[in-house]
Amino acid sequence: MLQTFQPRGLALDTLLRLPAALRVRAFATAAPSPSPTSAQSPIPPPWRPSTVLDEWVGREARPISLRQLTFFGRSLTESRLLGSANYVRLELPTRIAHRLRNMQTLPYSALTNQHISHVYELYYTAFERLRKVPEVRTMNDNDKFCDVLKMCLKEHLSVIPRLAMGILEIQDSVSGDECDRFMTTLLRSRISRRVIAEQHLALTETFHSPWHFDGKKSHMSPDDEFVGEIFLKCNAKEIIEQCAKTASELTAKAYGPDVAIPKIVLQGHLDTTFPYIPSHLEYIIGELFRNSIQAVVEQEGSAKPPPIEVLVCEAAQHVIIRVSDQGGGIDRDILPYLWSFAKGPRRKKRLQNLGQVPQLAATMQELQLPPSDPDVVGATGEKFGSPLATLSSRPPDLRIGIGLPMSRIYAEYWAGSLELHSLEGYGCDAFLQISRLGNRNEVLSTRATMDAV
Amino acid sequence: MLGLRAVARHSGFSRPATTLITPRARHIQTATVKDADIARLAAKPLHPLTLADLCKHGRPPLSEQALLNSANFTLDILPSRLAHRIQSLRSLPYIVVANPNVSKIHGNYVHSLSTLLPYAERRIETLKEEVQFTEVMADLVQTHSNTIGILARGFLEARKYITAKEVTRFLDEHLRARIGTRLIAEQHIALHFSSKPHNDLSDSEHQNPHAQESTYIGVIDTALKPADIIRRCEATVGEICELNYGVRPTVNIIGHPETEIAHIPMHLEYILTELLKNSFRATIEAGMEKEPIEITIAPAPATEEQTRLLKNKPEQAVQHTEGVITNYDQGSVDYASGSNKPDLSASANIRPLDKNTPGVTIRIRDRGGGVSPENYAKLWEYGFTTFNEDEINDKVSGGNGNSGGTALDAISGGAGGSSSLAGLGYGLPLGRAYAEYFGGGIAVQSMWGWGTDVYLSLRGVGKIG
Repeated sequence: MLQTFQPRGLALDTLLRLPAALRVRAFATAAPSPSPTSAQSPIPPPWRPSTVLDEWVGREARPISLRQLTFFGRSLTESRLLGSANYVRLELPTRIAHRLRNMQTLPYSALTNQHISHVYELYYTAFERLRKVPEVRTMNDNDKFCDVLKMCLKEHLSVIPRLAMGILEIQDSVSGDECDRFMTTLLRSRISRRVIAEQHLALTETFHSPWHFDGKKSHMSPDDEFVGEIFLKCNAKEIIEQCAKTASELTAKAYGPDVAIPKIVLQGHLDTTFPYIPSHLEYIIGELFRNSIQAVVEQEGSAKPPPIEVLVCEAAQHVIIRVSDQGGGIDRDILPYLWSFAKGPRRKKRLQNLGQVPQLAATMQELQLPPSDPDVVGATGEKFGSPLATLSSRPPDLRIGIGLPMSRIYAEYWAGSLELHSLEGYGCDAFLQISRLGNRNEVLSTRATMDAV
Repeated sequence: MLGLRAVARHSGFSRPATTLITPRARHIQTATVKDADIARLAAKPLHPLTLADLCKHGRPPLSEQALLNSANFTLDILPSRLAHRIQSLRSLPYIVVANPNVSKIHGNYVHSLSTLLPYAERRIETLKEEVQFTEVMADLVQTHSNTIGILARGFLEARKYITAKEVTRFLDEHLRARIGTRLIAEQHIALHFSSKPHNDLSDSEHQNPHAQESTYIGVIDTALKPADIIRRCEATVGEICELNYGVRPTVNIIGHPETEIAHIPMHLEYILTELLKNSFRATIEAGMEKEPIEITIAPAPATEEQTRLLKNKPEQAVQHTEGVITNYDQGSVDYASGSNKPDLSASANIRPLDKNTPGVTIRIRDRGGGVSPENYAKLWEYGFTTFNEDEINDKVSGGNGNSGGTALDAISGGAGGSSSLAGLGYGLPLGRAYAEYFGGGIAVQSMWGWGTDVYLSLRGVGKIG
C-alpha cells in the first residue's frame, strides 16, 4: 500500500536546500496520491543547455571485463587505487550522459510520465554531481569522491521499479519493442555503473583495512577469494542451495504451513567454481526458483509435489545451470510477453503490484533501507544497499513481471545467457549460461549496436 | 514420399487391385504448359493449409458427394501451388537451373502441372472423372518422391554459382511448400480408397471388416499416440546402432505416455527418427549408452471454451488470434512470384487454425555431450556449408553411404530408398519444417559437455465432432 509521503529523518530545510529542479519534483510527489498510477498532469523536467551533455555523449564508454576488475584489485597500491578512481570518475558521467540522451530522445509524452521523469531527474542530478568532480590526486580526494559515489548509489535504489512502472504506463505512446530496447539499454548501463562504482568503493575499503599491506598481495586478508565485490570462487552448489532455502522459506511464509513446498534436487558437476558477483547470481537463480516453486505450488496441490531438478554442468569456457520444474508450463496468452517489460494482458495487475513493492514510493528521501529479512542478505552482505534485495524479498504473490527480463539482462551482462523452454501443461526448463573465464567484456548497448537496431 | 502401398496400409486397406493401374500403363492426359499459364496461376494467392481443411470432408467411408468435394478442393489449390514452385525455380540463376539434377526437378514440376491443366475451369462431377483425377494425384506423388535428394545433389554440384544463404532460403521455402502439396495429394488418394463408392467396387475379400472403426481420416490419424511412434523409431534406430556400434541406448518415456493427438503419422515418424538418430549417435559416441534417453510427453490442455467452439460451430470463421500458422511455416510465401502477402481465400472453408487447439510437447533429453558452439550456429542450415572439398566430391560422384555416411544416415532416406540424404545434414531443418507446418516447432538447447535437450511441439486439430 502506498504510504503518504513522510520525510523520514529529513527536515524541511533540507528539502528547501535542494536545487530548484528537484525541489519542484520533491514537492510535487509529496502530495498524497490515491494510487501510484493516478493520472497526474505531467510536469516536464526543466530545460537545461544541452552543450554540456553533448560533450560527454561524444565520448565512448570503455567496457571492462571481470578479469580486468579482478586483476586491478589484486595488488593494490595507492597509485593503482587513484587510477581506479579516475577511471570511475570519467566512466560514470560518460555512461550516464548516454542514457540521458536516450531519455531525451523519447517522445515527449513518454518522458513526462511521472516515473520516467523522476528517474530522469535522478540521473541528471547524478550526472551534474559526478562531472564536476576534479581529478583525484590524493587519498583525501579519493575519500571525498567515495562519498559522492555512495550518495549516488543510495539515491538510485528505487530506479528499477520506477522505470518498470513508467514503461507499463507509456504503452500508448511508445511501442512495446522500443520500450524493451530502452529498458534493456538503461538497465545494462545501470548494472555497469553500479559494478564499477561498488568495485571501487570495495577496493578503497580493502585498502584502508588494517590488514592490508601496501603493494603486497593481500595474503593476510581473510577474504582472499574476494576482490572487491567479485567472488572468485562462486560455488554453484552453495549458491543454489542458499537460494533454494530462501525461496522456499519465503513461499512457506506466504502460503502457510499446510502447503507442501517442492524440494530442490541438485545433480551434475557440483564442485564447479567460477568468478562472479554473488548478488547478481543470487538474484537470477532466486527469480528462477521463485517462479518454479510458485508454479508448482499453485497447481492442484498434491501432498508430494514433484521436485524441482537443478543440473549444473561445466565445460571449459562456461557453466550451464538448468532448472526444471513440473509447474504446468507457461500460459499461452503471456508467452509472447515473457521477456518483455511491456507486459500484455496482465499489464494492469503488474502495475498495481509494482506500486506495492516496499520502499518504492520514494524520492531522494529514501536513504535508509530498513534491513529486510536478514536471511535474504546475500553472501557478501551488500554494503551499499541492494536494489536487488528489495525485489527479492517481496512476498511471492506480488508478481511484478520483471523477474525474467531482468534476470536475462544480468545474465547477459557478463556475456552469458538465459533461455526458457515451456512444455505447456507440464512444466518449464530454464537454462542459465555463465562464462567461466571472466575474460568477456561487459555487454553494453553501444552506439553501434543501437544504430544497428 | 508416401508410397501407394504405405497409404493403403495406413488406411487399413490392402492394396486394391482394381481401379488404380501401375504407373507404366498409366494413361494420363496432359496439356502443354505455356508461360502464360504459369504466370496466371502464380498470380493467385496461396492458402495456408490446416489440418481441419484435410478433415472437413468427413470421416471415411466418404459418400460420393464428399469424395467429389475433396477432389474439387484439391483441384482448386494444387495448380497454383505448382505454378509458384516453377516460378521460384525459374528465379534461380540460370546456371543453377541448367544443372541436370535441378533441371530434372524443374521438368517434374512442369510435367505435373501439365497433367492438371486439362482440368482447368472444369469441375469433377462424376466418379469416373474422379478416378482419373486420383490417378493424376498418384502420378504426382510418385514423380516427386525423390525431389529432396536430387535437388540436394544438384545444389552441391552447383555450389560455386550460388551462395549458401540463397540455397538455404530457397530450400526452406521450397521444401515447406512441398510438404503441403504432397499432403493434399496424398490425402485425396487416401480418402479415395476409404470412400464408400470404391469400397463397394473393390473385391469383397479385400474389404477390411474393421474399416468402420478406423481412426484415420485419410493420412491423418485422429488418435495418434506419440508414444507408439517413439517406440517404433527407437526400435529402428536402435537396430542400426547395434549393427554399427554394437551397443544400443535405451529410451525412457515419462510424463503422459497415453496422450493422443490428431496428426500425420508419417511426419511424426520422420521427425522422431531424425531426432533419435542424433541423440543415439551422440550418446554412443560419448560413451554414455548406459544412460537412458529421457523422453517426456506433455499434452497441452485444451481450454473448455476451445473444445466447445470446435464442437459446436465448425463452419463459422474463428476469429484471428496471434500465433496463427504463418504463411512462412507452410511455404506459402515465395519471393519469386512476389506473393509475400497472400490473402485468405474467399471460401469460408479455408480458415486459420485457432491457436488454442491443444497439442503436445515432446522433450528429448540425452547425455551425448551436447552440440559444440561452432556447430550450433549451423544447426539449421541444409547441410550445405559443413563439408570440405573431399567429402563433397565423394557425394557428388555418387558415393552413397561409403565415405562419411553411415547406415544411420541411410535410413533417413525414407521410403524413397535410393535417396542420397545420407549425411547431408537435412534432418534437423527438414524435421523442423514438418513440425512447423501446422504451427508446431523444434527448439534445440545444447549443454556443451553434458548433453542436449530437444523440444518438439506439435499442434493437433482438437476434437473433431
